[in-house]
Amino acid sequence: MNDTTPSLPLPPGTPPLVQLKGIAKYFPGVIANQDVDLDVMPGEIHALLGENGAGKSTLMNILTGIYRPNAGEIIIDGYAKEFASPLDAIAAGIGMVHQHFKLVQAFTVAENIHLGWDKTPKRASAQKLEARTAELAAKFNLQVRPGARINELSTGEQQRVEILRVLAREARVLILDEPTAVLTPAEARELFKALREFRNRGNAVIFISHKLDEVLEISDRITILRGGRKIATEQAEDCNPRSLAKQMVGRDIVLADMRQRPVGAAPISSEPVLRLDTVSALGETGLSALHGVTLDVFAGEIIGIAGVAGNGQRELSQVLTGIRAPSSGRILIDGKPVARANAADFVEMGIGHIPEDRLHSGLAPALSVTINAVMREYKKPPVTTAGLYRPGAATTLAKDIAGVADVAVPDFGMPIRNLSGGNQQRLVARREMRIANKVLVAAYPSRGLDVGAINTMLKYIVELRDAGAGIVLISEELEELLNLSDRIAVLYEGKIMGVIDNDKVDIDEIGLLMGGRQQTKEVA
Amino acid sequence: MLSGLRLQRLPSAHPGIALGARVAAILLALLLASIVLEISGAAPLELGVQVISATFGSTYGIEDLCLLLIPLLMTGLAVAVGQQIGAWNIGAEGQFYAGAFSATAIGLFVPGPEILILPLMFIAGAVGGMIWILVPTLARAYAGVNELITTLLLNFVAALMVYYVSTGPWRDRVGMSNSATPRVKAEIPEFWGLVHWGLPLGVLMAIGFALVLSYSKWGYEVRLSGSNPSAAKYAGIPVRRHIITVMLLSGMVAGIAGMFEIAGTVHRLQGGISNNFGYLGIMVAVLARNSCVGVIFSAALMALILNAGIILQTQGLTTSAVLAITGLILFLTAIGDELAHYRITRIKI
Repeated sequence: MNDTTPSLPLPPGTPPLVQLKGIAKYFPGVIANQDVDLDVMPGEIHALLGENGAGKSTLMNILTGIYRPNAGEIIIDGYAKEFASPLDAIAAGIGMVHQHFKLVQAFTVAENIHLGWDKTPKRASAQKLEARTAELAAKFNLQVRPGARINELSTGEQQRVEILRVLAREARVLILDEPTAVLTPAEARELFKALREFRNRGNAVIFISHKLDEVLEISDRITILRGGRKIATEQAEDCNPRSLAKQMVGRDIVLADMRQRPVGAAPISSEPVLRLDTVSALGETGLSALHGVTLDVFAGEIIGIAGVAGNGQRELSQVLTGIRAPSSGRILIDGKPVARANAADFVEMGIGHIPEDRLHSGLAPALSVTINAVMREYKKPPVTTAGLYRPGAATTLAKDIAGVADVAVPDFGMPIRNLSGGNQQRLVARREMRIANKVLVAAYPSRGLDVGAINTMLKYIVELRDAGAGIVLISEELEELLNLSDRIAVLYEGKIMGVIDNDKVDIDEIGLLMGGRQQTKEVA
Repeated sequence: MLSGLRLQRLPSAHPGIALGARVAAILLALLLASIVLEISGAAPLELGVQVISATFGSTYGIEDLCLLLIPLLMTGLAVAVGQQIGAWNIGAEGQFYAGAFSATAIGLFVPGPEILILPLMFIAGAVGGMIWILVPTLARAYAGVNELITTLLLNFVAALMVYYVSTGPWRDRVGMSNSATPRVKAEIPEFWGLVHWGLPLGVLMAIGFALVLSYSKWGYEVRLSGSNPSAAKYAGIPVRRHIITVMLLSGMVAGIAGMFEIAGTVHRLQGGISNNFGYLGIMVAVLARNSCVGVIFSAALMALILNAGIILQTQGLTTSAVLAITGLILFLTAIGDELAHYRITRIKI
């Protein structure tokens, strides 16, 4: 389990580039890391795999000098080091590319590369900086446009700038946090190529991810963290997705068709419970975002909405839940047209909503867990009786929801932002499920979650379907849609390109529809 | 093995530590002020003793303190109320003037028994404050115009308007002064010594706001809307309506402050009647961390500082020195608040 065979032949006795020994890190009430050992050899891509809250980020924050460990040693090239600040880590050749890029949008690529770097010439013209940048780009074989401003670049290009910035500072260990989450498949392939080249020069990459397939594709060795502890380090060729997933979550998970109904599950209704009739709507910027969308949602079914993000998904979920009024067309609930879109009325009628960005629109991060948990039921007894809001009753309800969601909350009065992303999402999901007896609109419910949490989330959704609610599942994970949905509608530039029965599904056709091609023949 | 002390940032401050940090900040500010006073040749200890004996040594001192406390409490509450919906009411100063102006108009020009005129003045003050914040409120609610600028600019309009009427059309033509209106006859009855009923009323309003915010459906909706408007919209809460209501309430409280000042303390409208109470109210609210009940205490602290300043002025200190001490206290409190988030831990590497 601990044999360290890198992909490059190394002379015997070569010390690991990075060695962490017995690292522990405690936060008030939380053990973020305990007894973590990690060896990263020169010339290897080492994946760090784990659920949300497994301690990956904390461990990397320790390695990059952002946190100091409560116990343990950091050994770089055989020498024990103590990082008092991130600058020390950079000096030791450790660089990190964060999931959310730390670039100055209004600056050019060259300026961003040279920002806060002691090798930046004291007096340098824009041309000189750009020439230096072009030189660096050539040296590391990373295609960037030195003169372009960051806000003109695609996410993939921005990521290359981040990587180049780290490499320019002579990093020998490159840490990437969920690098492919923001990339298209083609960009991801480019990234992998660059990472392999970097590794082949005798450097090391630490690759944080929870996508099993890509971890298997890119890495030489894989270390699995769970609950702040190291579970195992394995050679990638000895692993398969199932074994990794099992070690990661500590139990078997089902990555399979979830369309089967158990006995006693509610059947699919004959009449739609919610219907959009040629609905158009404007987006945030006042431009048209939905064009003549007609969509039926039946009770007891899951209708998947496929499509590349940004094609009207946000507006669609808002229209379906009464947050956004349509500019034309009708919404019918149980066959009756809705006179005026009003989110509160929709909640009243049993339409729940897991919004796509829970922190921005589904929660008030600065307010307490209790206030957030009762957001859907604060008007009703027992929380409010005769106009009086009763904090005690609210906390009781919040405890119920947290209990069902299996979220341990140390203090219901603390701001909900102190909870991890997965726990927040579970609370939101359970909160919505309590009221969604007619329809649940779930927008990217698994986004940002790890395999275990995704599985829980999907189980919730199936459970609600079996109880007889209609589910609108908006997702960009085609696999997830295929596993769950009875029908799949494809959204492209605000239009429904087609609705396809899952049984008759042809992935190529969905791909074409997502790309804006018209459906050749009617299949729904 | 190395060992050392290290600071660790906690997500939220422990209340006891936060309170301690505040007390420490105030003491440190006073200490710094004393050092400066000492260097400039004054005797800080004696001055301190004088301030304390002049404030608490006599009924007069405490009365003066309370008379300062009333407007500070009200303007602080006005700002804190606005903050509940996420609005910065920088215009409590102008609403204070508008409230004082409207109350004076009733007091001077509407004949009738005091028992009727006084409530009328109260209503006029409240409405005056609301009218003064109406345009910024609607601009914020319907067009997203930042209320910081609009409320601030209207302060100057209100100040000039009051200055104009009190030296012009409404000026006292009988008395010696040309810079104030005649005395407004209706007076808020005294509650204790010179202190009028505005004080208990103000305290009750602060407690009332706190209760309504914590224990009503409306309060829940306001807190949610103030903390994250998009989450409130998602929850089906009429955010715009709450913005309008809460901002108008904020203006109302500041307007009532102006009315209290006219009918309880000064009895004449004059330029500068607000004494910067509106701006000081921002500090009061910030010190109270926008807690309506907290405003009572931070207003008391601010009143104490201002009162000390007045006493120090009689001892030859300038207003600027007093303002500097006030600023120092605020500055150090802000640092203390931030530091309260840190914990010192001993580490071994």
